Amino acid sequence: MADMVQRIAKKLYQGDIEAVGELVQDALDAGMAPGEVLKDALLAGMDEVGRDFKEGVLFVPEVLFAARAMHAGMDLLRPLLADSEIASSGKCVLGTVKGDLHDIGKNLVTMMLEGGGFEAIDLGIDLEPGTFVDAVREHKPDVVGMSALLTTTMLQMKATIEALEEAGLRDSVKIMIGGAPVTAAFAVQIGADAYAPDAATAVEMARELMA
Amino acid sequence: MEHPQTNVNAQITPHYRGMTDDQCRLIHRASLEILERTGVLLYYQPAVDLLKKAGCYVEENRVRIPAHLVEWALRAAPSHIRLYDRSGKPALQLGDRISNFGTGSDCLHILDHRTNERRDALCQDIVDGIRVADAMPHIDFIMSMFLPSDAPDAADVRQMEGMLNYSAKPICFVTYEWEGTAEIIDMLEVVAGGAEQLQARPTAILYINPTSGFRHNEEALRKLMYVAEKHLPCVYWPEVGRGLTCPITFAGAMACSNAGHLAGLVIAQLVNEGAPVALCTAVPFSLDMKTMVVPYVDPDCKAFGLEMSHYYNLPAFNWGGMSDSKLLDEQAIMEATLSLFVATINGGNLIHDVGYMESGLMGSLELVVICDEIISWLKASMQGLEINEETLALDVIHEHALSGDFLGAEHTLRHVREDWQPRLIDRHNYEQWMAGGGTSMRERARAKIDEILGAEPRHILPPDIEKRIRTITERVIAASGGISLKD
Ligand code: B1M
Repeated sequence: MADMVQRIAKKLYQGDIEAVGELVQDALDAGMAPGEVLKDALLAGMDEVGRDFKEGVLFVPEVLFAARAMHAGMDLLRPLLADSEIASSGKCVLGTVKGDLHDIGKNLVTMMLEGGGFEAIDLGIDLEPGTFVDAVREHKPDVVGMSALLTTTMLQMKATIEALEEAGLRDSVKIMIGGAPVTAAFAVQIGADAYAPDAATAVEMARELMA
Repeated sequence: MEHPQTNVNAQITPHYRGMTDDQCRLIHRASLEILERTGVLLYYQPAVDLLKKAGCYVEENRVRIPAHLVEWALRAAPSHIRLYDRSGKPALQLGDRISNFGTGSDCLHILDHRTNERRDALCQDIVDGIRVADAMPHIDFIMSMFLPSDAPDAADVRQMEGMLNYSAKPICFVTYEWEGTAEIIDMLEVVAGGAEQLQARPTAILYINPTSGFRHNEEALRKLMYVAEKHLPCVYWPEVGRGLTCPITFAGAMACSNAGHLAGLVIAQLVNEGAPVALCTAVPFSLDMKTMVVPYVDPDCKAFGLEMSHYYNLPAFNWGGMSDSKLLDEQAIMEATLSLFVATINGGNLIHDVGYMESGLMGSLELVVICDEIISWLKASMQGLEINEETLALDVIHEHALSGDFLGAEHTLRHVREDWQPRLIDRHNYEQWMAGGGTSMRERARAKIDEILGAEPRHILPPDIEKRIRTITERVIAASGGISLKD
């Protein structure tokens, strides 16, 4: 079994989507518990990917393909897992705020959150506060993530938080913000719950928010 | 020359070409295929309508542009843009391979030359930056450098006010949204003495950044059509990111970048045939796939993609004189120097972002002053060789060679002042240098800044014009609701 776990983790690290799917199936056929495959092979494998990315060993697309491989394995496990095991990391909705079209950072944060085992729903760019409110109603996320790269559009983060308050939804979610001009102090100032300076930290912060 | 002679081309400058004509043709052809087959998304109905009327294939906002229309637009666009200084004198030629240099816009932070600390930029920094750039003999045009944290509302309008007040050099400017764009152009018209005067002698060029080569956002298109209508110059730069919004491989990335530019060019020419547009043609940007930072300086940036602008005979926009360093250290100077060199040999016409650091997030006045010296050096080194009777000096050689005394030759005296002279670089011997204070180049740059800022600011505009500009600024600030981050 330990060998099986290692092989899955290795293929996951290599971003080999097909092989991870096949190996996860093999593991299940060999009688390994779905929860164990998830935890010991997929999530542990992704942790190593995350670590190596932070260390500068891996490149972004390599992380993306590893995340996809993990999700290929997850898809096989999901019907077999107990509810408590599935809701592993949490659900996030993310977007770039109104007036702002910068989306590269937001896309990377979405990708890294997915890699970290979150369900991350990308709402897009140039989003009205109302769009975030609707998304919270629809998806019932744990975390709402907002990105802004312009000093002018940073203020839309505040407007969005106010819109969530007005809709009575503020307390049902945690709010994380980021983007080049955004600071931790600004997050405090507008009443966000967390700020992350980069995508890898965003995953750590999201985990903390879930704790 | 005493005797006629044909086939001599002696007055040449250093030669460099990043791409061959055949390579340009391949990229051009690929871009035409992209525009005809894949098309672009335009998020502004008047632009879609315009292209539909011109014969493009339109499905909702997806527009496929036929090759003949692109080639018509390439013929229609002017090969040169002339920018004028505030007195109405021609100051810059954008076209061919003539390089002009300027600062960048919108840095959030400043590396304060007084404290050597990074801090948020303030309104005063905008004024200081403009005054320093204005005093630099080799900074040919200005961009406002900083985004003020103490007045983020209507910052673009405030920046324009500063540039008009404190420098007479041509301006390259950014507007954040559609709102404010018309007012900023009003300001320029007031200073020029009217709309027609500005059109005839433009003093500024609007820098427009659509979302990507494939997705042209509403604001960008609106700005493009507005300035084209007014026959005012703009830079239209749909940036594509390698591996992000276009292929990671260079040829494909360059074709996508080029296609995005051509789409913009077609729109501008349809609005107003002959509308002046500068492009950054086939230069994609990169993301460092390890750190997730967009580096402003990298050897891979393939600035030779500018060759497409030359191939089309259109003005070329690009960048130089910046660094990704957080300190004004060896990396900063190395990157600033190399980027200026690469931009110049690739024949960029509007080379901006001089003084940028930390991937466009921080600006340094010291770096601007140091770059001024680097640019001066580059200008001298690109000057090329002049061969004629006077410079070949055969008679002088014959007279002085055997005695070995050229120092006393009158010919030497005649030409001694033609050599390049440094302003910041030190060439003294050790004792002389010590006697002069034993300073580093950076210390000398700092002293220069203090000297410039210590002098009385020169007022460029007559008081009544300055007042009218102020009124426009105040109107825009009031309309923006006076929002402030300090709320
Ligand atoms: C939810 O929780 C979280 C947590 C962490 C989060 C998070 C959310 N979101 C981000 N993070 C964090 O994680 C990410 C990964 O580590 C990081 O994300 P970043 O987004 O910071 O980093 C990305 C991975 C890479 N970085 C980027 O993608 C941004 C790079 C720079 C160069 C940049 C780019 C590429 C672009 N631009 Co723009 N652009 C600049 C940028 C300078 C810079 N160094 O930031 C900046 C942001 N731009 C600026 C400007 C002025 C503009 N831009 C504009 C347009 C564009 C392009 C479209 C050309 C392009 C964006 C393409 C795209 N599809 O996104 C215009 C505005 C358009 C609009 N309305 O949005 C325009 C106004 C320029 C114009 N001439 O029109 C400046 C902003 C100044 C300000 N703060 O107000 C600017 C700093 C450059 C400059 N000095 O002029 C972290 O911040």
